[in-house]
Amino acid sequence: MAGHSDSSSSEKKSSEAMNDVPTFSTENMQNNMKVIYYSRTFMSIIGGVIAGILGFTGFMGFIFYFLVMAITSIGLIAKAKFSVHLYFDSWNRIILDGFMGGLMSFVLFWTFAYDIVHIF
Amino acid sequence: MGLGFMVGVLGVLFLFHAAYSTIQGLLKIMEEEFSGPPMNVSLIVLDLILWFELLGFVFCISAALTVPGYFLSIHPDSEENRIVSLSANLDFMIFNHRAKALPLETDMKLKH
Repeated sequence: MAGHSDSSSSEKKSSEAMNDVPTFSTENMQNNMKVIYYSRTFMSIIGGVIAGILGFTGFMGFIFYFLVMAITSIGLIAKAKFSVHLYFDSWNRIILDGFMGGLMSFVLFWTFAYDIVHIF
Repeated sequence: MGLGFMVGVLGVLFLFHAAYSTIQGLLKIMEEEFSGPPMNVSLIVLDLILWFELLGFVFCISAALTVPGYFLSIHPDSEENRIVSLSANLDFMIFNHRAKALPLETDMKLKH
């Protein structure tokens, strides 16, 4: 198992017996997931700072977070030139991945910016 | 890549400026308790703050979409995935090969 995972870089997941199962290159898939992760993390931090500056409290802040994540998802889909199946194997990856992790960063920077701007 | 990064830094600077303006506006009012959204800041300053925030947000989102890199196609049959190569893995490196069976070229040079 360990030897299987760190062999050649362009390792393909395929089952030669059936042609129905789609094959894809895992290295490129990992690269795409990394791009999504970086984009979402950065945007959740920026969203947190904006929410803190604007003074959102309570539920409004979380609504703002979902708004920022929706805009980021639309941006990522546009970056994938609207043909998501070329770069990912399912829609869930580009829409939902990194959502919950970003929420923690968002809340952290939201409270941080709010404290600095409104409470000092 | 450098341009995207600069755009992101500029967006963050806009946000800092907006935060600074908000602090200045709130300090002017000299409030002691929570004010929540900066509604008590004068309208002109609030307008400026909102514009800076929007601009900073737009710059940051364009940086977030361009700096991390491009999407690579995952289909093995696509045009840009034609050439594949092994990484520099010691398991696949060959140090003992048949080049010693080739005629040495240094003998030919010494004949000059």
